[in-house]
Amino acid sequence: MKLIKSIVRPNKVDDIKDALAKLSISGMTVTEVRGHGRQKGHKAIYRGKEYSVSLLPKMEIEVVVPDDVVDEVIEAIIGTARTGEIGDGRVFVIPVDYGYNIRTGEKDVV
Amino acid sequence: MRPRGLPPGRVARRREPVTPLGDRQRRKPMDGRRAKTEKKAKRTVPSRHQSDGTGPPAEINLKLCFSYRRKRMRVSKTGAQEKSESRRRLEKDLEAARIELFEDARLGAGGRQALHHFSERIDELLRHIFSFAHGQGELPLAVVALGGYGRRLLCPYSDVDFLILFDGKIGVQEENFSKALLHPLWDLRLDLGHQVRELEDFRDLESDNPEFVLALLDARLVAGDPNLYDRFQELFHRSNPQSHRQILDLLLPLIEQRHARFNNTFYQLEPDVKEAPGGLWDMVAARWIQFLTTGHGKCDWGAQTVSPLSNLQRLDQAEDFLLRIRIHLHRLNGRNHNVLTHALQEKVADSFGYTGLPHQQVEILMSDYFRHARAIARFLDSAQEAIRPRSEKSRPRKVGENLERAHDEIRFRNSKKASREPASWLQAFRVALNEQCQVSDTALSLIERNLCRYNPDDFFPTEAERDFLLDFLHPRQGLYERLSEMHDCGFLGGMFPEFQSVFCRVIRDFYHKYTVDEHTLLTIRNLERLVRPSSSARGRFSSILQELDSPELLVLSLLFHDVGKWRDENHVEESARMVQNVFRRLHLSPDSARRVQFLIENHLQMSLVAFRRDTEDAEVVRRFAALVGTEENLKMLCLMTLADIEAVSPETLTPWKEELIWQLYVDTYNQLTLAYGDEVIEKNLASVSELLADHPADLSASEISSFLEGFPRRYLKATDKENIYRHVRLSHDIHPDEVHLSLAKQHDVWELTVVTLDKPYLFSNISGVLSYFGMDILRGQAMTNPKGLILDIFQFTDHEGFFQLNPEGISQFECLLQDVVSGKVELPPLLQRKERGVPYRKTQKRVSTMIVFDNQYSQRYTILEIVTQNALGLLYRISRAISRHRYDIDLVLISTEGDKAIDVFHITGKNGRLSELSQRELKSDLLSMLEGIYEADQEHCPSKQS
Repeated sequence: MKLIKSIVRPNKVDDIKDALAKLSISGMTVTEVRGHGRQKGHKAIYRGKEYSVSLLPKMEIEVVVPDDVVDEVIEAIIGTARTGEIGDGRVFVIPVDYGYNIRTGEKDVV
Repeated sequence: MRPRGLPPGRVARRREPVTPLGDRQRRKPMDGRRAKTEKKAKRTVPSRHQSDGTGPPAEINLKLCFSYRRKRMRVSKTGAQEKSESRRRLEKDLEAARIELFEDARLGAGGRQALHHFSERIDELLRHIFSFAHGQGELPLAVVALGGYGRRLLCPYSDVDFLILFDGKIGVQEENFSKALLHPLWDLRLDLGHQVRELEDFRDLESDNPEFVLALLDARLVAGDPNLYDRFQELFHRSNPQSHRQILDLLLPLIEQRHARFNNTFYQLEPDVKEAPGGLWDMVAARWIQFLTTGHGKCDWGAQTVSPLSNLQRLDQAEDFLLRIRIHLHRLNGRNHNVLTHALQEKVADSFGYTGLPHQQVEILMSDYFRHARAIARFLDSAQEAIRPRSEKSRPRKVGENLERAHDEIRFRNSKKASREPASWLQAFRVALNEQCQVSDTALSLIERNLCRYNPDDFFPTEAERDFLLDFLHPRQGLYERLSEMHDCGFLGGMFPEFQSVFCRVIRDFYHKYTVDEHTLLTIRNLERLVRPSSSARGRFSSILQELDSPELLVLSLLFHDVGKWRDENHVEESARMVQNVFRRLHLSPDSARRVQFLIENHLQMSLVAFRRDTEDAEVVRRFAALVGTEENLKMLCLMTLADIEAVSPETLTPWKEELIWQLYVDTYNQLTLAYGDEVIEKNLASVSELLADHPADLSASEISSFLEGFPRRYLKATDKENIYRHVRLSHDIHPDEVHLSLAKQHDVWELTVVTLDKPYLFSNISGVLSYFGMDILRGQAMTNPKGLILDIFQFTDHEGFFQLNPEGISQFECLLQDVVSGKVELPPLLQRKERGVPYRKTQKRVSTMIVFDNQYSQRYTILEIVTQNALGLLYRISRAISRHRYDIDLVLISTEGDKAIDVFHITGKNGRLSELSQRELKSDLLSMLEGIYEADQEHCPSKQS
């Protein structure tokens, strides 16, 4: 079981959700985040006044999936989130030992 | 209860031992939260048993307590069996009473009636146990129901609050009586909120236990000595003349604390029907306030008067409705849980017998809930308002034709006159807004009573009243409160039936937290808060609000942006359709109507693009800029989006979203003001075809087409059809050195349109002439097409009143402009003379100068943006400085916001865009000129300019 954590452009969330739904993955956690990687923000000028946008708004999508579909999920996320420009985001894969359903107390079997 | 000589804050026991139940047991708080924490304490056994060694230890749990009791009862097996049978009988009776109550509720019986019946069943049960327990004590005693039980509104699983009152010092026999009464009740698993007191305890107010004191207001004799009960009432209410005032002082902070837990709003998506604002506690609190301020003797619900705004029947219905919900919640939860959660809303709605699909049933239920909660909240408001300290010394002051300010509120001087003149009602709210106070309940009540006699058109029959309404909608502190008052008394819905269609309308989408009407009013509150921003992040949006030409149109748009939600689908289209009637009744100008229409139709677009499109893609920004068309539209849409999102729930507008909206605003603003020159009008543009198709008889299609071609596209967005045709007419038969112009005035703003052919110093000469006549240029744009046709539009104010004071003023202005443009008159000497006058001496500089060049935004032009302190002839000086460097000015956007001038020039040199070196040289000259070091107009270097 793996936790796949993706940092993507805000406008890509709906597309990624659809792409994952096609893989029968419907549960996910989406969080508004701000940060920067190589993109390092940019400077904007408003009425002659310069202000820097150092932390860019991004979305973080977390999804826990069985090991056998990890590659497929990563492929779907990358394929959907990519624009080819700097700032497309990152995908991290983290091993998960156990998961429990709080309502039923059942251990996730994957 | 505090003996003399003790320091404040310490509570002493009057005597030892006071009670067999221990001090913690006696002080049972009525507040729900504290009650939970002390529930365990309630079930402890008497401490006295520790000392005599005959009983169990003091801190023992209930189970042990029962064992102990059973042990004592083994004395007689027959007696034990009898007790057991009696207990089973009581359990059956209690269960039967609950089933009966649930059945009553299921059959639609009123909540109050059913609860009265249930309370009587509990009375019977208590009296039955009392009859067995009594006789063991010597002292006269009484069992007195308190709180909700005292009011005969005991819910199935609520705490049964009561007082065991003794007429004298409590001894062993009294302890035995208490145990004999309490233990069977505990055996029935009832949650008890019992207090044990001696009569003398009520000689002083127990101010450290406010919940208990308040519960005593609802005291009702259940069993025991009526004479003792009467003496208790006399002692509690009459012993201290100040006691009611003191109780009131205990009550008010409790209301405030409770409301704060719910963010001070009754529009809860999952409301606590008991504790939330507008809930049952508010009803009780309002009645307590009225009783404590006006009542004598016992708190008698039926005899009390209610506020003029909220009639008794309406409040009875509201309370009954909430009680019915509460009964169902107890039934469904099997415990004292009063939150109407999403999951339970469907079940309760079904029990209430609403028709339709489940979600429709829920929406009806919640609409009803909010309507009733609103009535109760207003009842409490008016009760609290009635006891607010007032400045008695201030005499009523006349503040309008039929209005006066008295006791910090606005009221009508002559009610009959006011009821006959609906057009004057708005004045009451307007005056209240200006005076920063509220409209009196009596005035609101008068409006509410007379509303049905009038049609919407009766409220603003003339242009003056319509203008008055628009002026009233100008965002400022207090607008939300006044609009809420208008909404509550039905006036807002009377003026605008469109808004009434979303009265308490619930949209159940797990996203919106408030009803549609409250959401709408909250958007206006959010806008109003921008007048005094709470943070620097909000400050940037605040500055946009200050820059708006007609902020009242934004408020008007917000007021109607969601009225289409009375229907289930496509509310945007429906809102845009419904607002047409408002335009008609308000006789809104076509420009204003177009703007409001645009905002309503597109109120979801900015959030859509900001949150769900790639705003780093220039094409996305360009398309969005094309949609909004003008800076004014963009500013309004930006503020509308911000206010709208924030009004969904307190958590919806995150700093993350705020940042995305701001970034899109900045990018779009730059697109509109910096890059617009690249997009020029072409023949086959759809909007051009539309203009050509509708052309008036005196203009040919080719004329219009030839005029438009090559102007920036924003001209089409920013100008309506009639004005475009007017500009085409101005361009007829234009010759070099000729100026065709038109001057028009709307409200306080003049608009000058100049059509001419390109020639040197043209732009600076026009702006210079305006400055010479003392005109304050607010905004404007200067455009050139490839054929050398110039179209300049300036909006300015004549703050010196030159045109008004001089009948020949307009013709003088036109003549001078002709002469200056044709070169017959030199402008610089005229301006220098003017500047020497006292009014034009340099004032202290408050805006720092910023000069920015950009070669990125436009493929054709270097964009020069100047932000600086506004001054006489500023535009003239800047444009002359540019011309001195032999650069062409092709497009100009002029904007003045208070002291700040923001001018954007699209300029080109011989080789197109300016090199970095050229930019540095020009910047240096401009800075020198703006700082007053260098007089730009001392030299005259002819150059081509528009």
